[in-house]
Amino acid sequence: MPVPPGVATSGPASTVVPGASGRWFLARPNLQLLVDQLRADGRTVIAPTLADGAIVYDEITSIAELPGGWTDAQAPGSYRLAPRDDGRLFHYTVGPTSWKRWTFPPRVPMIDGRRDGAAVTFEPGRELPTRLAFLGVRACELAALRIQDRVLVGGPYVDGDYQSRRASALVIAVECSTASSTCFCTSMGTGPEVHDGHDLVLTELDEGFLVRAGSMAGSALLARLPLTVASVEEIYAAREQVAAVAAAIGDPVPTTGLHDRLLAQVDSPRWDRVAERCLTCTSCTMVCPTCFCTSVVQRSDLDGTASTGERVWDSCFSLGFAKVAGGNFRSRPRDRYRQWLTHKFATWIDQFESFGCVGCGRCITWCPVGIDVREELMAIAPPLELGVEPAPAAPVAASPSEYRVGRVRSVRHETADTTTLVIGDLDPAFLAGHPGQFAMVDLPAFPSLPISISRYRPDAIELTIRAAGPASTALTRLKPGAELGMRGPLGSSWPLERAAGRDVIIVTGGIGLAPLRPLIDAIMAQRRRFGDVRIYYGARTPHDLLYADEIEELTQRPDIELGVTVDRAGPEWLGRVGVVTQLFDQAQWDGSGAVAFVCGPERMMQVTVGVLAAHGITSDRVYVTLERHMQCGIGLCGHCQMGKYFICRDGPVFSLASLGGIFGREGV
Amino acid sequence: MVVSTTPARLRLGIVKFASCDGCQLSLLDLEDELLDVAERFEVVEFAEASSLRSRGPYDVLLVEGSISTADQAAEIIELREQARLLLTIGACANAGGIQALRNWTSEQAFRAAVYPSPDYIDSLATATPVSEHVTVDASLPGCPISGGQLREVLASIAIGRRPQIREESVCVECKRRGTPCILVSSGVPCLGPVTQAGCGAICPAFGRGCYACFGPKEAANTASLGDAFVGAGRAPTEVGRLFAGFTAYAEPFRTQVTERRGLERSAPFGRPSVLPVGAVPPVADVMRGAGTAGGPADPAAPITPAGRSKAGGTRARRRAGDPDARR
Repeated sequence: MPVPPGVATSGPASTVVPGASGRWFLARPNLQLLVDQLRADGRTVIAPTLADGAIVYDEITSIAELPGGWTDAQAPGSYRLAPRDDGRLFHYTVGPTSWKRWTFPPRVPMIDGRRDGAAVTFEPGRELPTRLAFLGVRACELAALRIQDRVLVGGPYVDGDYQSRRASALVIAVECSTASSTCFCTSMGTGPEVHDGHDLVLTELDEGFLVRAGSMAGSALLARLPLTVASVEEIYAAREQVAAVAAAIGDPVPTTGLHDRLLAQVDSPRWDRVAERCLTCTSCTMVCPTCFCTSVVQRSDLDGTASTGERVWDSCFSLGFAKVAGGNFRSRPRDRYRQWLTHKFATWIDQFESFGCVGCGRCITWCPVGIDVREELMAIAPPLELGVEPAPAAPVAASPSEYRVGRVRSVRHETADTTTLVIGDLDPAFLAGHPGQFAMVDLPAFPSLPISISRYRPDAIELTIRAAGPASTALTRLKPGAELGMRGPLGSSWPLERAAGRDVIIVTGGIGLAPLRPLIDAIMAQRRRFGDVRIYYGARTPHDLLYADEIEELTQRPDIELGVTVDRAGPEWLGRVGVVTQLFDQAQWDGSGAVAFVCGPERMMQVTVGVLAAHGITSDRVYVTLERHMQCGIGLCGHCQMGKYFICRDGPVFSLASLGGIFGREGV
Repeated sequence: MVVSTTPARLRLGIVKFASCDGCQLSLLDLEDELLDVAERFEVVEFAEASSLRSRGPYDVLLVEGSISTADQAAEIIELREQARLLLTIGACANAGGIQALRNWTSEQAFRAAVYPSPDYIDSLATATPVSEHVTVDASLPGCPISGGQLREVLASIAIGRRPQIREESVCVECKRRGTPCILVSSGVPCLGPVTQAGCGAICPAFGRGCYACFGPKEAANTASLGDAFVGAGRAPTEVGRLFAGFTAYAEPFRTQVTERRGLERSAPFGRPSVLPVGAVPPVADVMRGAGTAGGPADPAAPITPAGRSKAGGTRARRRAGDPDARR
């Protein structure tokens, strides 16, 4: 990001600077000389210091006031100081103060007004800023300064007070040598290495500091300090140290697509969940180094002839912030939290071309009830990809002019009109198929039919077929030993890895259970990789329930929830009667983060996705299968076109999001 | 308009019920600005400053203290009829005060425990906020109230504008003054996150948790804060007792005290002998007011001296005489 006008005086120089490219070593006691130099230049030195049980930023005159021998232990809602037995001066992360206390103070005089009869006069309230030097600015905090530069100086209107304070500040950065559990600069791309925005940067080692200059002013300072050329070992140790910090933090908030992911979730039920914990106390925004919202408070005398306006830090979490005559746009705490989170991680990008978050973790540590913004982000707007989907299985005999022959090994009549064929003696390519894929099945003299694979066995597959027309009826009448022609496995599959680590919802109706059965098998085979698993299954009557024995077995399992309902039933049926969505439309579970797999008649799927949306499962986490007339099975014959898709080749499994407006539309 | 070159003085009364007088004294603490107040307001009743008494009418009546005796309950209704703008000041008037802790127990037991001749004591079983008895136009929180906020309210009435009193938590004041959160940094239980600001966040600056003198802030999520205290290892009764301070009887503190049995161990406390009769208007700033049946006064409307503005006077008298305004 370019340095905005008016701030460049302390920013990095673009020209080649003597000493700027070099790495120098400053013995620890000589840091005092740097402080002395800054003070000799008329600067007030602001640096970390111990006060009130925390490491805060305040004016220092001696490096003895730095928190040498102290570190911090941070967790959501908790901050504790802890002593150390070495002499390091900067071995901790960020505390409750941020540098905005000096660049953008909590109280700034704005304007004085006077009324004298009919005449009014105004006078800007002005404070002459002192020249500042910030010592100990972390990489995330440099990013925060850049963001506030962009917001307050980089737009069409300039905050003059900020501009002059910021321009006066010399920035001496420190690279982190430790990470807190609340840090996530790596995810936000702001640290822990220091790249730009500094005049000097220090990396603290056991005996002193590795020093680099980042500007003319920084180089000039270096020229006045007793430095030695850094050794290769020291340079290496400094690099290792910062790399270890980055590795310790990892990547807790994958930000790819976060803007869109978050803005798609304005109606997530998770906002209500977090509002149950949120105190709307404003602490997160007050400690945030980028939050810039303010209000001007007027104070007048009792006859209204003189008033003083003072700008104070304000927060979108306070009720008055969005108040207008007659009402309040964000009276509900959930709306205030949503405003803050979506601003920081989405709309800030639209306004200012970067996230409004630098990953410093202050909002996590200083939340009195420990709400972790990382956790909320991942629950509200989870990353699009968690696991790697296996490549689709390569079909054998894809072309309609070829077939592979398989043999019916056994036959099981599921219901009056539905039969499962176990097919063995077949090409191993079929066994390598994925849940959701189908085979084109052919009997001579009959048209070929797409039949989804309803189970993968080690040496066989199962096909569950409902006798709906002559060809399917002929298939259901096959006896063990009969042969049939097959192509496949074809089409897309249920994206199992997408659901790894998440809650899974499976909703199915009628024969729709068949293509989901291999998915259920796969989930059960690796049950611990998934969160809560809920299966909802509806059939027309109790006699139309498929795989009755297996359903019974699943019902006994404590690690899944299985709901079964029928449209109509006689008195012998003791279970639920009603449409499948009634099994969960009143359920209390929270679907934010969950992945849903839906297969059944199109009308049933339409109703289902509506109920899923109400539970917070957004369209990118809902997968459906579509059925159209398929003939070739490989996208060449054109029969199964739907919008831009060939259902056989691009489907039959689609994410609802990918279907957009065509899902459920009549006549498409 | 209200502002004129020779402003007429508004009749200001300050009365008290069950309370310590500390809020009234905030007016005297204005010191230098007291003369400005006196220029705009004719103080017609203020026992702390003058023995002159008045029976009204008042343009502005500041009421301190909770209603603790039958006489007080009758008197507040009479006063309401004399007052065009009735403001409650302080935790006692707004929320019942510390004496409202007796609402959780038997008042007779206390009387017997404290006084050698309890028969001489004539008090109600409960100490209740003024708003449970009459319509309150606005309330100023605090124990005691902030002199600066009182001055701001008087200035806003004199000028005819909204008072600039911010609806925000004590956390905001801690952060502005640079006090690291003691709840986070040392685990000291602090009610600041659910407490209306206005005190300047004095206690946390001295390492002491906020004990909610200013009462609950808007949308005070006391359940979540209480859960966090319990999660940090405190006994539920201890957490309930944290809320049992000067503003205990204000919702949603009251619910925390009751549900977490905050007063159960300290006999003769127990379950509240009197459960909420109706919603107690929140202890809030004067912008929201705390009016109930009669509705709050429009804070944006200019207040003019009694009897000198037909519109204002008529409207105010209608409200004062409105039987619905009484409870």
